Amino acid sequence: MPGWQALNLEIAQYGATVVTVALDINAEHARPWHELGQATHPSVVDTLHATNPLFGFTNIPMAVWINEDGVLVRPAEGASIERNPMRDMEIPEGLPEALDKMLHAVKDIPDDAEAYRAAIIDWAKNGASSPFALSADEVVERSQPRSDNEARATACFELGDYLRKTVSQDAAVSWWKEAHRLHPQNLTYKRQAWTLVTTAPGATENDLMQGPNDVYDSSLVAEVSGDGGFLQFIVRPQL
Amino acid sequence: MILTELRTTTREFAQATGWEPKPEGLCRGEICVPAPGALSADGSLDVAIAAARLGMPLVEDADHGVWSLGPATLSGKSLNTAVAADPELMNFDGSPFRLSSLRGKKVVLVAWSSY
Repeated sequence: MPGWQALNLEIAQYGATVVTVALDINAEHARPWHELGQATHPSVVDTLHATNPLFGFTNIPMAVWINEDGVLVRPAEGASIERNPMRDMEIPEGLPEALDKMLHAVKDIPDDAEAYRAAIIDWAKNGASSPFALSADEVVERSQPRSDNEARATACFELGDYLRKTVSQDAAVSWWKEAHRLHPQNLTYKRQAWTLVTTAPGATENDLMQGPNDVYDSSLVAEVSGDGGFLQFIVRPQL
Repeated sequence: MILTELRTTTREFAQATGWEPKPEGLCRGEICVPAPGALSADGSLDVAIAAARLGMPLVEDADHGVWSLGPATLSGKSLNTAVAADPELMNFDGSPFRLSSLRGKKVVLVAWSSY
């Protein structure tokens, strides 16, 4: 979050702002990170994951760019702006297998951060004349595919969350499993579900490893340690 | 959109889906889709008709008496229009926030999470 705050300060002079939106069903889970960021830009929370279908977010971080008139000039795409320090670390021998697999998967994530950050600054300066600002037709065309399955996954995820809040935690599970089956590339729906069952009771932070569990058919470790790694979930920016 | 019956108000439908019922049909941005029979004289909306016209899946949980309406699949893309949606989001102090409050500025909307 400090990286986005720094970028916000840099682009404010051009009439641009960052808005960060936390996709968290419980705002309290995101609050410590929000406070750490000390954002001077709008920092909001989306407890219903409503922005997922409305903008096409399927993973984090992802971003869209919106011009002064409220029109998208770039669709949802991977939005890293800082090189992940874990990419450059030497992975020591003898780590637990799950952690070892996770670290290798992180190192394999393509690094578009520098180019993406530069593109944002170019657009902030030059607006519609920036080569990174797309036409309305291009924005729609470049947005991710949505078949009936993907739309149905959104309905299932929302239904599960509603039942979680109104009936019981367990009532969400079958619907969230169905959402995962229908839209396997939506990592946000998966990680939101996994973290609720792998975070220890009373923990002050969500479990980021999201390892094997007895509730869902898969786990983050299992999915990213396969052939597709994290890349299967990442929408790389076409700059 | 969560529903306990397959009829809702035009206002609630527009807020939840971004598709606004108008005399010419269901509209979002520059797109309007005719939906004969969807609107009633009392201002309510037949969700099943609207869903069929917009390609929105309706998922039912009969045990709990609720439906969930998925997003439109008209274009086969996650976006049907480049006009940005304007959902009601929440600041961390609990107050409401809308992207439309930033009209006149360029906005980079970044999704993140704690997990």
